[in-house]
Amino acid sequence: MAERQILIIDDDRHLLLGLAARLRGSGYRVICATDAASGITLARKETPDLIILDLGLPRDEGFDVLEQMRGLREISAIPVIVLTARDPVTNDKLALEAGAVAFFQKPPDNGEFLSAIRHTLGEPTGLSTFLRT
Amino acid sequence: MTLDSFGRVQASERLPILFPITAPHGRNSADKNNEIELSPTMRADLLDLDAWGEILTTYGKTMKMAVALTDSDGHVLGKCHNPQPVWTMVHAAARDWTGCPFCISSSSPCTAVTESLRVGGVVRVRDLAGLTHVAVPLFVGKQHLGAIIAGQVFDQYPDPLPLRRVAKEFGISAQDLWDIARMQRPVTSAIQQASADLLYALGQAFVQQRYGAILEASLADTNGSFRLLVDGVRDHALFTIDPSGRVTSWNVGAERMFGYTDGDIVGENFSCMFSPEDIQNRVPQKQLNKALQTGRIEDEGWRIRANQIQFWADVNITVLWEERGTVRGFAVIVQDVTERKKIVIVLEEARQERARIQEKLLSHVSHELRTPLTAIYLFITNVLDGLLGDLNPEQHEHLTLALENVQQLKSMVGDLLDITRVQAHKLTVVPQRVSLAKLTADVLSTCRTNAALKNIGLLSEIAPDVPVVWADPVRLRQVLTNLIDNGIKFTPEHGVVTVRCKVYAEEKGFVCISVSDTGCGIGPENCEIVFERLAQVSSNSRASRSGLGLGLFISRDLVLRQGGRIWLESQLGRGSTFYLTVPVFSLAKLCDHIFTPPNLESGSVTLIVVDVDSIEEAVQAELVPEIRNVLERCIHPGQDTLLPAMSDAKSSESFFIVACADAKGYAVIAQRIARELQAFDNASRLNPVISSTTLPLAPGQSREAQTLEILASIERLIRDHLVGKKGDSDG
Repeated sequence: MAERQILIIDDDRHLLLGLAARLRGSGYRVICATDAASGITLARKETPDLIILDLGLPRDEGFDVLEQMRGLREISAIPVIVLTARDPVTNDKLALEAGAVAFFQKPPDNGEFLSAIRHTLGEPTGLSTFLRT
Repeated sequence: MTLDSFGRVQASERLPILFPITAPHGRNSADKNNEIELSPTMRADLLDLDAWGEILTTYGKTMKMAVALTDSDGHVLGKCHNPQPVWTMVHAAARDWTGCPFCISSSSPCTAVTESLRVGGVVRVRDLAGLTHVAVPLFVGKQHLGAIIAGQVFDQYPDPLPLRRVAKEFGISAQDLWDIARMQRPVTSAIQQASADLLYALGQAFVQQRYGAILEASLADTNGSFRLLVDGVRDHALFTIDPSGRVTSWNVGAERMFGYTDGDIVGENFSCMFSPEDIQNRVPQKQLNKALQTGRIEDEGWRIRANQIQFWADVNITVLWEERGTVRGFAVIVQDVTERKKIVIVLEEARQERARIQEKLLSHVSHELRTPLTAIYLFITNVLDGLLGDLNPEQHEHLTLALENVQQLKSMVGDLLDITRVQAHKLTVVPQRVSLAKLTADVLSTCRTNAALKNIGLLSEIAPDVPVVWADPVRLRQVLTNLIDNGIKFTPEHGVVTVRCKVYAEEKGFVCISVSDTGCGIGPENCEIVFERLAQVSSNSRASRSGLGLGLFISRDLVLRQGGRIWLESQLGRGSTFYLTVPVFSLAKLCDHIFTPPNLESGSVTLIVVDVDSIEEAVQAELVPEIRNVLERCIHPGQDTLLPAMSDAKSSESFFIVACADAKGYAVIAQRIARELQAFDNASRLNPVISSTTLPLAPGQSREAQTLEILASIERLIRDHLVGKKGDSDG
């Protein structure tokens, strides 16, 4: 299977650096954007297999971005995992209702996060990795 | 009545007390409980000579007898009214006259007065000269007051012999005495008797009247003082109302507070001081009724002044009882505490504002901290996991320690957020069925590294009969980790921390988990304080990577939210044990929020079962959380309930959804679930059993009965569903 591509949209450059390194180390191709507009443009152009989205983007309210992406035919099928510093209480439900497939609060546990990604991409997740508790 | 000669007294018949002396307000002063001790002043007042003088004079003149008032010992008070001639002559000649003032006797005067007081009736005496007199007792209740003596008259034609004797005795001319005596008209016994009776009645009536007047005066005096007191209170409204609420008295303070004058308000019902809503809700009557039950009530509320302005009042209503046990009315004291209330409201608002600000601040801080924390975490783990090349052991060790600190920071940041949620009462727990054996094993394994650093042993003892509990596994894990970490922290090297789970004997339906350490312990007086926020009881331990010290505070809130309790037992030098209770899983408790009257009334309750048992365990483990996610997405939050494994079979996780939907809704849900499940890789091996049980309320059936029925049908479905499964493998 060809390498999967992941798009990370987050305005924190350090996070992009660190997370991209980890994802590449796990065998994914990674592209990045630091705001919603360029993120969406990139998504339309590259049609990644997965988008990791921060909610606290400049000028854009995170949920609005999600909804926007749902509305665009070309990219509405791309699964989105939300990665944010915000409190999961109520926010996770909101994110899922807005169309995200998963919600993670920063900093996410590497193992769990990778499992979620793998799973979303339809890859075998392996027994113990997904077993949370 | 018996007569006697020569001064000896014989008991006379006791005359009935015709008019028992009664004090004002209907109290019978003959009742010894209520008798007032007569003070010397009162006695003097009752025997006031000016007052008696007129009666006695009139009596004497009318009855043509001598009359005198005496004290209880027989001494004449004042003078003898209308003295009779024979007596006067003898009296003038006598050098010393002792004893009874009316008796003409040489040596032994009568003790008529004393005797009459003793027997409570009239006593009649004949003296040496043949004259007779009577003694009429005067009482107040049982207390002797004095007597009236009347007489000095012959009751028949005089006998010369005794008169001659008396004349000789006293050195008077016998002839003169006889002349005088003969001229005195005798008063017959009958008349004397009748007049004595009359005198008795008169005497009592008069005493009574004077006594009454004295008491009235004293009462008026007291009332006057009381009135002064009540009127002197200007800042409190003091008033009385009758049993129906009509105002019967009103003080200056009340006038100032309410604006009604005496004339305005007396006779009006006190409900006019309440707000229209209160009047509509019959609050005034309710207050009086409540007061009657307990004797006294205290209340705070709005009251209305005459000018319709509202004010906040502190009100005391006390019942005033009559002697007989009936209600005379109520005494009301009102204080205007509007200022105080304003302060309270302002303080409360300020407190809430402070809490809001604090929550926002902590929330913001915790949010902001996460961003750099994430970066640090990612960079450290990237290097540590070899993504940037191999590491030598020392580099590895450094980074591992750095990572540990990051984890600690992460949990502190999490604590910060939790603390605000605790204060705002927003901490949530999502309970589910939890196997304690598994959970404790997991927690202990995560704590092992920490324990190993101090060579502390971690043990667990799970009783075999511990049932599945109903708790939030993430939160319970958090609490246990916190307690175990505490145990490790306060235990010196080579100590032991033990976790025990057993059925809680003291309270049905709970499991008790304890975490004991062999550490330094803390004093019993600190066992409550440790649960307070930021209370760090000092420890001697080196490894005090203590975090924010909020752990126990949050843990307590979490335990309470799950329905249990948490406490600490400890002794200095003897180690500590934390105890917490967790509720045992129960189907009834679980379905409580689903089987509410509105839900049951709105239609049927639909039960959906998804069976994952038919697939292999290995795949199961992977799928189970996924299915849970799917089902959570398909059901409507707040309305439906996800019930995980209903059976005790450890291996299977058959999902049941109890959904409140009508028949149409059920079909939609069932379809959605089926479709979502198909998306799974191994889903084709799934065998969703989507059953429903519809139970509209039967006529005459109660909701409780229907609830039981529904629960029974769930149990039945479970049983049917799981019957015939292969034996459990260890889950």
